[in-house]
Amino acid sequence: MAYVATRGGARAIEQAERLFRAEMGEIDPARVNEIRTAMPYLIDRVMGEASLYDEDIAALALAQTGGELYEAVLLLRAWRTTQPRLQVAQPVQQNALFTHRRISAAFKDIPGGQLLGPTLDYSHRILASDVLTGTPFVPVPVDAAAQPAPATQPSVAAWQAANDLVDLPEPDLTRPDDIPDITREPVLFPSKRAHTLQSLARADTGGTLALGYAAMRGYGKAHPTVNELRLAEAEVMVKHPKGTEFSAGRVKVSQAEVVSKSGEKLSLGFAATLGWNEVKCISAATLDLNSKGAAKGSATEEEFFLYHTEGVESSGFCIHFKLPHYVTFQSSLDAMRDANAKRQAQPQDQEPAE
Amino acid sequence: MSLSSLTKPWQPMSYGFLDASAKREIRRKMLKAVAVPGCQMPYASREVPMARGWGTGGLQVSLTLINPKTCVKVIDQGADDSVNAASIRRFLADVSGAPTTLDTLQADLIQSRHRIPEEKLAAHQTLVLQVPNPEPLRSVQPNMSIARQMHADADYGRMWLQLYEQIVRSGRVMQGASYPAMVNGRHVMTPSPIPRWDVPKLHMAQHLTILSAGREKRIFAVPPFTRVEPLVFDDVPYKVEDHGDLTCNRSGARGFFMNEIPLPDGSSTHEISDSDYGVKTIRARDGETVEMGATWYNNGQMEDAQ
Repeated sequence: MAYVATRGGARAIEQAERLFRAEMGEIDPARVNEIRTAMPYLIDRVMGEASLYDEDIAALALAQTGGELYEAVLLLRAWRTTQPRLQVAQPVQQNALFTHRRISAAFKDIPGGQLLGPTLDYSHRILASDVLTGTPFVPVPVDAAAQPAPATQPSVAAWQAANDLVDLPEPDLTRPDDIPDITREPVLFPSKRAHTLQSLARADTGGTLALGYAAMRGYGKAHPTVNELRLAEAEVMVKHPKGTEFSAGRVKVSQAEVVSKSGEKLSLGFAATLGWNEVKCISAATLDLNSKGAAKGSATEEEFFLYHTEGVESSGFCIHFKLPHYVTFQSSLDAMRDANAKRQAQPQDQEPAE
Repeated sequence: MSLSSLTKPWQPMSYGFLDASAKREIRRKMLKAVAVPGCQMPYASREVPMARGWGTGGLQVSLTLINPKTCVKVIDQGADDSVNAASIRRFLADVSGAPTTLDTLQADLIQSRHRIPEEKLAAHQTLVLQVPNPEPLRSVQPNMSIARQMHADADYGRMWLQLYEQIVRSGRVMQGASYPAMVNGRHVMTPSPIPRWDVPKLHMAQHLTILSAGREKRIFAVPPFTRVEPLVFDDVPYKVEDHGDLTCNRSGARGFFMNEIPLPDGSSTHEISDSDYGVKTIRARDGETVEMGATWYNNGQMEDAQ
């Protein structure tokens, strides 16, 4: 029986994969290119969750998985983990970021000005249905401002610190090679600050939003005010073995700082990620803001939200329930049947003590 | 010695998929796990080209232990022909060049999801069990950091209380698979969701068992000749599934753990869960010469441990 069945199993899984791939047809560089250029925000989301910054590879992962996001992120993570860690880049400083967009909801105006940058925030969400009937959607060209905004902007929290409204965290002087790396060691609780921020940076966007939203709706103690939301590009500064420091290129980053009144001062919540992903940063920063002193088992407790926003782990576990479970099920059935038989054998009026 | 003699050309993929640093970490954690039987050792748990929850913990251990001569067997719910077992076996063979087998006796390394084979494992064999949830205290304490402290304090009162409550409410312990066991008299561990039938096979066994949870990032071990005692009260003995008298309708094997197959007429029939043992039984019945190993259970009864 088994020889046939074994080959059958192997053949079935091969054909099932072929069936999935047949839907999408051939994948060539042109398709990968098109995905990369047409869907930068999708690419950003995937790069952030994969914690791997490479637009081409992210586009390839999307092409290969037909846009199944959890599959795409897993594909990238599994590739990423086999790559050597050559070097740790210099920390990115907020006021050195090449800033495209920076807004604050805390003040009407801020030093450096509110800088809207690219956003759909104020657009009317109307489907361009004409495209489907043959009229292409041609974006209206941008009218450049007379004065370009400065490339770099100070942080809002720096102003607040100068005015004694907030205590900024002590600068972390850990040597780059000693920074705890969540891809090389397990997270244990209470978690190291680096682990928390890294974990949020690669958290699942939807999961982070769900728990962050729960905190915003009142399951958290602190109500967030967006102190600063920033979309930017960061130079990746590395050191050549000969000692020269140079930029290996720029990566898109987003970061959010949310604040809440806590006694006489403001308390800060922070999150940043690779790529531009505003919803995730605001949600993650809200979770960070609420995590201090959160009750064990609540949605705003660090252990709770870090475990449950891990997209690769949560999605994998969810789909694993499709695997056969008949042995465990049989084991439970046996205990149930035996308990029922025992109960029926008992005289009816004898209730078990509670 | 020159630098080039210490390096080797770049390859797109390391031998056995995982890179050397990942394997080194897993080896270290396995050694720690062997040194403190039943104690969960956290490890980084790399992503592998399979979804979490599909045996990624077992896979990382197998990938670390494997070499081109390791004969590998992979089973899922007792069956070699289960699709996920076939997938893992193919991956292990592809990235290592190791030979594969369906025969428990031929295997050096057995990766299994939720079963221990019916034939006794020998000292040279290693069993790798895939673990979905490594924390036996999860049902009484979902918070992992508190549970970790409870293990450190050997604080298992709530575990006992849970078993006691089940007896009071239902007249018996209702735990199905994953029956908690005390290892080496110190750490309570989950044996992974193997049926109760299989837990006694771990007690004072000759082989090494490594249990690995990829998603939850924990490795633990039962070294050879280690006590593994299911948590039971003195007056309520441990009870395995009532399969001792069942007969497999395909192979005629009797007295082993069975799969129940519902029939259209409302009744059910049974097939042996250990598929390779079933095949061997059929081949022996049909007159082939087949090497059948000694089994842990004989006539449906577990032999007494040493």
